Amino acid sequence: MEKDVSSLNVRRRLPAYRNGWSILSFIIVILILIPNVTILFNFFTEKAENWGHITEYILPDLLKNTGLLIAFTGLLTIIIGTSLAWLISAYDFPLKKFFKWALILPLAIPPYIAGYTYNGILNYTGVIQTTLRNTWGIEVEQKYFDILNLPGAVFIFTLFLYPYVYTITRAFLANQSASLIENARLLGGSPLEVFFRVVLPVSRGAVVGGVSLVLLEVLNDYGVVQYFGVPTFSTAIFQTWFGMNDLNSAIKLSATLMFIVFSILILEKLLRGRKKYAATTAKARPLRAIPLSGGRGWAAFSYCLAIFLLGFLIPLIQLVDWMFLTFEKVASSEFLTLIWNSLFVSLTGALLIVFFAVIIGNFARTHQSRLSKSAAKVTILGYSIPGAVIAVGISTVFIDLDSGLSRFYEMTGVESRLFLSTSIVILISSYIIRFLAIGYNSVESGFDKIGNKYTEASRMLGMNMTKTFFKVDVRMLRAPLISGFLLAFIEIIKELPLTLILRPFNFGTLSTNAFKYASDEQIHEAALSSLIIVLISAAAVFIFHQVLEKESN
Amino acid sequence: MRNKWLMLGLTLLLSVFVLAACGGGEQEEDTSSDQETADTEETSEENASEETGGEVNLYTGRHYDTDQELYDTFTEETGIEVNVIEGDDDELIARLDREGEASEADLLITADAGRLHRAKSQDLLQSLESDTLNENIPEKFRDPDNNWFGLTKRARVIAYHKERVDEENLQTYMDLTNEEYQDKVLIRSSSNIYNQSLVASMIATEGEDAAKEWAQGIVDNMARDPQGGDRDQAKAVAAGEGDVAVMNTYYLGKMLNSEDEEEVKVAEQLGIIFPNQDSTGTHVNISGIGVTASSKNTENAQKFIEFLSGEEAQKQFAEANYEYPVNPDVEASELLQSWGEFKEQDISLNELGENNDRAIQIMNEVGWK
Repeated sequence: MEKDVSSLNVRRRLPAYRNGWSILSFIIVILILIPNVTILFNFFTEKAENWGHITEYILPDLLKNTGLLIAFTGLLTIIIGTSLAWLISAYDFPLKKFFKWALILPLAIPPYIAGYTYNGILNYTGVIQTTLRNTWGIEVEQKYFDILNLPGAVFIFTLFLYPYVYTITRAFLANQSASLIENARLLGGSPLEVFFRVVLPVSRGAVVGGVSLVLLEVLNDYGVVQYFGVPTFSTAIFQTWFGMNDLNSAIKLSATLMFIVFSILILEKLLRGRKKYAATTAKARPLRAIPLSGGRGWAAFSYCLAIFLLGFLIPLIQLVDWMFLTFEKVASSEFLTLIWNSLFVSLTGALLIVFFAVIIGNFARTHQSRLSKSAAKVTILGYSIPGAVIAVGISTVFIDLDSGLSRFYEMTGVESRLFLSTSIVILISSYIIRFLAIGYNSVESGFDKIGNKYTEASRMLGMNMTKTFFKVDVRMLRAPLISGFLLAFIEIIKELPLTLILRPFNFGTLSTNAFKYASDEQIHEAALSSLIIVLISAAAVFIFHQVLEKESN
Repeated sequence: MRNKWLMLGLTLLLSVFVLAACGGGEQEEDTSSDQETADTEETSEENASEETGGEVNLYTGRHYDTDQELYDTFTEETGIEVNVIEGDDDELIARLDREGEASEADLLITADAGRLHRAKSQDLLQSLESDTLNENIPEKFRDPDNNWFGLTKRARVIAYHKERVDEENLQTYMDLTNEEYQDKVLIRSSSNIYNQSLVASMIATEGEDAAKEWAQGIVDNMARDPQGGDRDQAKAVAAGEGDVAVMNTYYLGKMLNSEDEEEVKVAEQLGIIFPNQDSTGTHVNISGIGVTASSKNTENAQKFIEFLSGEEAQKQFAEANYEYPVNPDVEASELLQSWGEFKEQDISLNELGENNDRAIQIMNEVGWK
């Protein structure tokens, strides 16, 4: 659609080419690039001492594990995500209104916490086995309850990441596909036929978009694969960098990983295809749901319920149970500080992310140039690199910045020589770099939807770009802005490695607190902070859903 | 017009950052206080640091609530504020390295001697002369150059199922590689630092070939691919997935005292063996502390280490966390005493660090996941 618009666009050099928007975008892009370039710069500098050892003994396993994880998680999230999206948008069945948003809730549980929790449920001292053993005296074969392996990791990733596919696909189906699907139904297509021959091809773009987010999350994950003993790139990068102290090998691994990431992104572009099935009218008609009668309705209900139980309610109940077990030992007034800290960094980070995303989005939209396109591409960079790698890049940059500012610090009487790199500024900057893509995706799709026609009308009527932006664009963008904000908020409050590595003295968040216990195998003690994270994120998910609903009405 | 907007935008950007920075400042004050309002607290805190010994900044890889209690006690006794960043050992060392001379950290605590050695060899620690420390900590658990000092000891032992295993035939780490324990050995992954240090210690005591032979034997006898933590190994023994597990002593102590009765039941089925009593001794690792090379509060740092090596603090380490105190004047907890005395490996703990890379390579080579 971008293409169409630009070809219709009268090609003219707007006098505003070098206006504040482009310069701001440029600054943001530079800010994002510097830490990443610092890392890549090292790639060519020195020979990596352990590289030979790594390629011989470690790399084959990494590639195999990473490949299997991506393939199966991708496949399963597509199956679950699209089938749920289809059921919810095309049919009416018991409790459908509730499932519509409840099925997004698994997003509120960080996968590493879900991993710990499921292992706690299933292992030898977990509730299932102890009940079987103590009540009926049944000893079970351990291997059927063993989740700490590759299939287990796929299970966790699938259950807690499928909402990306579900949300994006459902939004698309509900708003954009009504006429196609209803025509297919009228022409006598059976439900399965409609699903496979119309729904899937039509929503291909949305599905691929969701799945690529899932895959990037999987590649980035450290917590789950570390605990499950499934070596992937992120664990190998940690091990070579921090364990073997071999930065160069770590960078070579990161570069290999980035290669995979870019392949996925290119594949995404290819799979999305040349055509976008976007609605041609501004007001798309929502899809009308058909009631499912009797048994079929209950079957749909059971399917949704099963996913909801596995992906949210069961781990939640387990966490509540553990929380009561350890409440007295763990709870203290310190938790208020932790909650405040978590909220503070998440809100500030998400706000800034949306702010920057809008600047770049607006720039990319109004200037159809190579520069603006690459600015948009850069935002995805942070999302594709493991948090720990970003952390090192950004702290290197901040320390240099601090030493450059040392004279300024002396003049102003700041005692610390690492003022910025030991402040919360570095932490929030790292969130922006890491999660800008999330906010940007929302904003971009919003811009896509409203197109350029309203903006151009406004410009024609004599308002300048900035005025137009505030008077026209922002008002139309309200929903995507809010949903971008909420998604970034959820990501930040769940975030772990960056917070852990870059936080200032005496500064903890709920997720660092959960990690503190979990890393030392005190899973029960980690329940309280995990639970608060889940509840706050769940609230954000709920608001997110309300915003999306309002928008589509 | 254009410039005006540019200026506005830049000012906005800058002010957002400044705001974030100020917000951060407030934050730090908030964390160090409990009930007082921000204003009064700020002034009282400043006064406090002027009147007393000021502060000491700590990077620590240990995350126990009981440690924080110790720091609070130290602040009560000396008036010295303890500022803490908790993190992963490796990441904290990398952070120190990046920050270099400018680093604000005065002290580094890690849960592994090899890591302390690494910090030392990267010139991140400095030497500290203290008679108190020499007295409190046996020579074996101090760095010869006084760059680091042990605080607590933990032994890596063999836990076995009391009914299914005849402990007569299980006296050494090497015994785990016997045919008898084919598909019976449970141990966590090679990325775990305790396993790396165990192999590193074998390289020191018996040489590289023997260490590799052992690692190969362990891999051949594994009951399953390594997964989970030390506690998970113990549970797998109770569940019958295997018969013997390699684990640290304090995890067993914690399981025996768990709030979850099922964990207690698991631990009660296990017996423990201190391996290699007739030869090289059981592998012992430490949690330890060192003063950073960049420290600006060395006096306070010294007081802090001396405090942690003193009887009061050592007792708390021993009681609360089931670790062995390094201070010989302090007794281990009753539980640990019930396991009896044992012969410790006699190597310089720096060798754990020196051999670490080789240990990782060996484990990769034999296919230890």
